[in-house]
Parts: sequence; structure tokens; C-alpha cells
Amino acid sequence: MQNIRSALTPFRRLSVLGALFALFLCARPARAALGGDASSVGTGQTHLLASARIVSAATHTMHELAAPTGTKVHEYVGNDGKVFAVSWQGAFRPNLRDLLGSYYETYLNAAGSRMVRGPLNIVLPGLVIHMSGHQRAFYGRAYLPDRVPQGLSTDEIR
Amino acid sequence: MSDQRRICAFVVLLGTACGGSSSGLGHNIIATPTDNVAEVVVDSGLPEVRNLNGLFATVTVCVPGTSECQTIEHVLVDTGSTGLRLISSALTLSLPAWTDDNGLALAECGQFVSGFTWGSLRSADFRIAGEQVNDLPIQIIGDAAFPVPNDCTGSNVGTTADLGANGILGLDTSLQDCGSDCTAAPGARSLNPGMYYACSSTKVGDCQAAAVPVAKQVPNPIALFGQDNNGIIVELSGIPAGGSPLVNGALVFGIDTRENNKLSGVTLLRLDGYGTFMTSYSGLSNPALGFADTGSNGIYFLGSATTGIPTCVDARYQFISDFYCPRNTINLSARNQDALGMVTVNVGFSIANAEALFSSLNVAFNNLGGPSSAPSSDPNGMGTYFDWGLPFYFGRNVFTAIEGQSTPAGVGPFLAF
Repeated sequence: MQNIRSALTPFRRLSVLGALFALFLCARPARAALGGDASSVGTGQTHLLASARIVSAATHTMHELAAPTGTKVHEYVGNDGKVFAVSWQGAFRPNLRDLLGSYYETYLNAAGSRMVRGPLNIVLPGLVIHMSGHQRAFYGRAYLPDRVPQGLSTDEIR
Repeated sequence: MSDQRRICAFVVLLGTACGGSSSGLGHNIIATPTDNVAEVVVDSGLPEVRNLNGLFATVTVCVPGTSECQTIEHVLVDTGSTGLRLISSALTLSLPAWTDDNGLALAECGQFVSGFTWGSLRSADFRIAGEQVNDLPIQIIGDAAFPVPNDCTGSNVGTTADLGANGILGLDTSLQDCGSDCTAAPGARSLNPGMYYACSSTKVGDCQAAAVPVAKQVPNPIALFGQDNNGIIVELSGIPAGGSPLVNGALVFGIDTRENNKLSGVTLLRLDGYGTFMTSYSGLSNPALGFADTGSNGIYFLGSATTGIPTCVDARYQFISDFYCPRNTINLSARNQDALGMVTVNVGFSIANAEALFSSLNVAFNNLGGPSSAPSSDPNGMGTYFDWGLPFYFGRNVFTAIEGQSTPAGVGPFLAF
């Protein structure tokens, strides 16, 4: 139930009608993607992500989600209700199209321009992505540097 | 080998700590080619891509049960993945489809850090040195038999130019590239990660995620050899600090199955189910997850903020920092601890200025390194990786024992060097 409660948090200040409208929008297969609304955390994924843990801080809320495959996903939600960072670890990589949302193509363009035989480090003005590990042991994180709340070190995104 | 090292190995086999420093000075002996020894090489690779620290072997594949065979060179030896995968353009043979129990052709979305490999599975008789596996399922990467499914995400490593090699010979500690998870019925709430697909036609959408029994998955071919099937040794000679244009080495099959693959004079690190051990870098309280990977071309660890080592500025990729570029070469050390927390060994390594290394014509470097994902490990389980790539292997004989396979030092998985 924890995930449902927190999913409604961004709508607290809306009127009842507004909230209902927002819920209607959320009923579509929305994606809990980087840069997107937190309201859909855990849905829209190829593998349903169950909320395992929520950690609240002054600057943000971290939702720890678990896929049935055991892969863990962390989604960092700012006080504006938007996902500003995601990270993952597990034997199988989560669906990156779902997780990176509108930033997926940016990632593909940056990663596809060269041959990588090691970890991937993409540092663009508005997007940072790290991926490391090996087959059956994947780690990665992506964040929007312009949207990381003041007072939060990017080292805390993990 | 000195008596002192023999004693050390004996102690380690009993599971007691055996500390020490190992710097890979290159006094190792490289096995000569024979039935269980294939020659390997670190060279610039295919003409179209200049490889740095690419370790290559030559393999032979045949149409099953026939003498129609093809020998394929420059296949990347990768101790970080499982199974044989060949780029379709490098293959001239017509290999039969590998099918599921309903007769549907199987295809796979292979997962790698750098991206995915998509293509159909085919059956081949596989030979390397004097070892052989008949009717081995292998992946044909980028064969265009079936369109890439939507759920196969990341960069498409589909051509020889993308990979810098004609294929991947994945020889990690796993028996299969997926395992029991891929035997579950697929679905949103399933354990099945959806790597394997059964394809009813070549039309978009006609490849569906499939449950595939372990025996039908892409396996570690070594484990299927009739002999010498418990692991491998990668043996590469030591090289000068400025690098080398060519390194010859040996890929030895079997651990303690013959005179030429004795497990002695080494420290043995037991691995967890993901092939990892623990690596502690000076002064950091949380260890990283360490792994040894011939398929990584550098030693990749932490980030500049933690190590204080600047990354290179590469004009071609303005916003991407793949390598460290210290002004002068620096000598470092990290402590490796086995998955049981019983054995530790310090490993010395050097990091040189990558730009200076690349300005030479050399292609093999024992001091090439770069940042991994930046944050230190999280006590709650999300961690960073310490990637002991090919530089770690120069001047060492590194044993990789496959999970569940017996050796005189116990059952794999383990790493020994």
C-alpha cells in the first residue's frame, strides 16, 4: 500500500475534481520514466515493479522497486513530483526504453557513436548515464543534472 | 616457481587467508598449443576497427554432423559473458535453426553492458584446439532473420564494426547465459527476464518471449567438452609499460585435468553466483563488486571524484570520459577478497595517461584504465563494479572455474591467479 499512498502525493494540493482527472490520466499506461511524473512509479514496465521500500528525505523521495527477476530499480522523485534520477542493479537489465523515457533516444545517439568495451559513461549537458558490470550482473544510473535538487550530492544517487 | 609460493597455494586451498602482493611482472609460463590449448592473440583486430586490448581466438564451426566447416578468426575471448555468438556477416555456412519443443525457431536478445546482441539461435558443431562440442546452440548476431523486438533495449551491437570482432566466445563462470529464470512462463509478473524469443514468422511482433529449458539455452561451451570441461586458464605474457603491438598467449581448457593446467602457485578466490568477489580500494570503507573480464579493455574503477585521477578530454567525444589521464603513471593497489570473506589478496596495478598510450602504434596496454560508475557502494545493496579488465591478465595465468564443475580445489565458480 505504501506505493499507492506516495503515488498520490503530488496531487495533494489539487482539488477533488483535479485529482480525479489526474487519476484518469494515470489510468493510461503511463511510464515511470526519467523526467516523467512520479505518479506512475512501478507501472508501464515490461516487468511489473513492486514497491519494496520508500525512503523520504528533505530534498526528494527514493522509491526502491523490485522486478520479479530480482533486479532492483531506484527512482528518485523531487518535491515537484518528477523523476530526476533512476538507477538499477541485477542479473538482468530493466527495459531502458521504459526507464529512460524521452531520454532513451538521446542515450542511444550518445552510446551508439562509439565502440565501448567497458563501462559506459555518458555526460551530456542535461543527462548523465553510467552503466557497468557484466552479463548477469548489471548496474546503471541516469540522472538529469539540472533537476537534481539543491543540497543533494549526485553521489547519493545509486 | 618457488617453494614459498607452493606453500601459499596449499594454504589457500584449505581456505585460509593468504595475503600478498601481486604485480603481474610477467614471469608466467605460457602453455604451448596442443589438444587443450588454443593460441590467442592481442592485436589490432579486424581491418575496419583498431582494437585496444582485444583478446582474440580462432574457432571452427561446422554444419552439424558434416565436414562443412568454417574457421573464423578474431573472435573476442570474453570471460564476462556466456556462450558463442558470431556476427552474421562473418559466417558463410548455412547453419540449421535451433528450435523450441514446438518446432519454433529461437532467437535471443543477449544482454551486455555495452548493449544488446539480437539474432537467431543456430546449431553448430564447435571446435577449438582439439576440443569439440557437437550440436551446440550459438547466437548469430544481426542476421536479420527476425526484427528486433521492442523489449530488446539499449545499443544494438549488430555488426563487426559495432563489436570490433567477428564474434564473442563467452567463457565466464556461468553454465548458461540465463539459467533457471528463463525456464519460467513469461509475463509481467514472471521471473523470466525475456531474453529468449520463439518466432513463428519473420513478421514484426511474431517473436514472443519464451520459456526455454536450461538444456536448450546458449551454454558455456567449455562445460560441454568431453574432457577438460571444468574451466579455463588465460595465459598472457607480461608487456612493457609503454605497451606492445602484439601479445601472444594461450587459452588452456581444463583445470588440473592435465600436466599443463595444474592449479598451483595461485591464490584462489571463490565467487558468488554472479561471478563477483569484493574489491577494496585504498581508504574506502565500502568495497566494490570486483570481477575479472577479458572482454573489458581496461581496468575500470570508481571515478575521478573518488580516485583523484583526472579523465582524458577526448575531442571526438566531448562529453564522454572513458579513460583516466594522469599526468604521470601512477602505481596503485587494491585488495581483493573472496565471496566467503576468507581469502584476501592485494593486486598492484598501474594507470598511465591513456592519450599518451594511444599516441603510439601499440594496441596492448597493461596500464589502461578508466572510471566506472561513480558512487561508492550502497550498504543496501546497490553497488559499483571494479572491472579487472584485460590489463589485469598480462603477465598472469588466470584460472576461471565454471559453476557446479568439480576441480581438485573444489566446485566452481572461482577465480585463481
